[in-house]
Amino acid sequence: MSTLDATAETARRPFAGRRVHLGDVLLQLVAGAAALYTLVLLGLIVYKVVQGARLSMSTFGLGFVTSVGWDPVHNAMGAGSFLFGTAITAIGALLLATPLAMGVALFLTELAPRAIRGPVTALVETLAAIPSVVIGLWGIIVLGPFLRDHVMPALHSTLGFIPLFGPYSTGSSVFTAIVVLTIMILPIISSISRELFLGVPGELKEAALGLGTTRWEMVRGVMFPYARGGVAAAMILGLGRAVGEAIAVTQVIGAGTHITWNLFNTGDTLASKIAESYQGYETNLEGSSLFYLAVILLVFSLAVNLVAQMIVRRVDRRQGRAA
Amino acid sequence: MPRNGKLVRITLALAAAALLGALAVTSAGAAGKRSAGTLNGAGSSLVAPAVAQWGTMYTADTINYSALGSGAGIKAISARTVDFGASDAPLTKSQGQGCHGCVQIPWALTATIPVVNIPGVADHQLKLTGTVLANIYLGNITKWNDPAIKAINKGLNLPDMNITVIHRSDGSGDTYVFTNYLSKVNKAWKSKVGCATTVSWPTGVGGNKNAGVAALVKTNSGSIGYVSDFYAIQNHIAKPRLKNAAGSFVLPKISSIESAAQLVKGEKIPANNKISLTNPPKSKKYKNAWPMATFTYVLVPVQTPKAAQLKAFITFALSPAAQSAIKKLVFAPMPGVVIKAAKKTLATIHS
Repeated sequence: MSTLDATAETARRPFAGRRVHLGDVLLQLVAGAAALYTLVLLGLIVYKVVQGARLSMSTFGLGFVTSVGWDPVHNAMGAGSFLFGTAITAIGALLLATPLAMGVALFLTELAPRAIRGPVTALVETLAAIPSVVIGLWGIIVLGPFLRDHVMPALHSTLGFIPLFGPYSTGSSVFTAIVVLTIMILPIISSISRELFLGVPGELKEAALGLGTTRWEMVRGVMFPYARGGVAAAMILGLGRAVGEAIAVTQVIGAGTHITWNLFNTGDTLASKIAESYQGYETNLEGSSLFYLAVILLVFSLAVNLVAQMIVRRVDRRQGRAA
Repeated sequence: MPRNGKLVRITLALAAAALLGALAVTSAGAAGKRSAGTLNGAGSSLVAPAVAQWGTMYTADTINYSALGSGAGIKAISARTVDFGASDAPLTKSQGQGCHGCVQIPWALTATIPVVNIPGVADHQLKLTGTVLANIYLGNITKWNDPAIKAINKGLNLPDMNITVIHRSDGSGDTYVFTNYLSKVNKAWKSKVGCATTVSWPTGVGGNKNAGVAALVKTNSGSIGYVSDFYAIQNHIAKPRLKNAAGSFVLPKISSIESAAQLVKGEKIPANNKISLTNPPKSKKYKNAWPMATFTYVLVPVQTPKAAQLKAFITFALSPAAQSAIKKLVFAPMPGVVIKAAKKTLATIHS
């Protein structure tokens, strides 16, 4: 193990004990510049966004994060309802997408006839390639009215005692946004999960089946535990996508600053509010407040990303030790 | 580590896509910017059909117009990324300062109108007053068979149905006209909500742009919304009649918009051309006036290298031929005094 590490280390050290080639130097420069560029870009973005938000930060302070409402006429703005909307849509989409994605991944790795695995995998991943504005358009024209006429009435009449499924009016709602986001994050979670399931050693699976387990017991007892950490990371990647999605959500969520548990009400997320308002704001304070929302969104997304990286690293270490 | 490889590949692909996207956007922006023989504009979606019509008639230059919304038009001209901007709401004080020496010139006259989708109620059948409209949008009237609506619609069979209120979710010149009117006719509206391109709506569902509101009204029975007249006609949505200050229930038509525009003859036109046509006063003269008529403005820097081209195009837009060519898109020809004021402002533009 240690000798292996040492060789790897030498290989990684640039040009040690070798003649310097012009090509290598160029490669070093270009690659280094590319890496630096992303850092500088991230720095500039953060700087610009914070600078844009300064007016709003000094006016509202930290209270902005929790206060509710968006009234540019009376200069009263806050991020509270948008944070709530972001959380409820992202978590809702994750709760719907994860089991579905697991099903898709299991089907594609274990259950589907070999001949259709390839095509179906390609189709599922194509889902990720549909531009969000197209999904949003479909959300307005097809999905929204369908949910309003068929799904919302059914949920309201059978599960209406749960505050989540209250009275409904149009196809534009938090619920519609959750369904749209589910469709968008499903391929992310399912394709990573599929890779994870493919990575489960065949001997383990065969051993379990050899002990007389059913296929489901093998999946539950061998594959899920093996892939658990990776699936968590996949979920967090999906969560990041759901939190940041703007256009499709803007098109179907219906806007508003109310905080209610009724999913059939309209709402807004941080990203959708920015998308719908940034072109048409009137006062400097409103524009600056939109930047403040962007700061909150940025912090949130970076945090999600870091957590995902931590989980992936932890899982790698654990599995490295096991192997 | 196959799964890590996958993760990395996905991340790389996403990053590359984002980078390419960014490059495409910047290069498109650079390419679309100010070449000879073209005039680039952006802004109001309300005036977009008119500008498109003018573009087909005008031959001296190619006109490129992006209907991004009034607010975006103001920002684009402030940053000088376009040759002209267009806005339905006149510039606010801070916007005027932010534009660093822009003038606003009225160049078209049209109307914002309420639209409804009620089963059994046809086009032109429903009657509304400003107060009822305000109370619907305040959430005080929630049913179509509310006594206040029934009282002005005798003989019309109004269903026992919830009203779905629909408004714009983006900043909009139509919202400005609509809330400006409601603020004039209803005190509660003025103090609670007020007038702006974005307001804090007490109730309702937001639609994105005129097209979004029209789509929501069309697909939800029991709904009410407001759009530019052109979009109502295009989408075949029922228009109600609206009671004006003179007491008559009028329809949005060229004649009723023209009638409202007579208001400018009585009022002096200020140097910044800011004219409000909403809720013309109670007088016989405005018997047929539509209460939500509006001028829409073109925004131009006073000093610009394209002064000659811009002057030629805007002079064309103000010409009788151009003004009457957009009648079919429900734009009324502007009154002579406004054209005169517009030309006076136009003359100040130089290179």
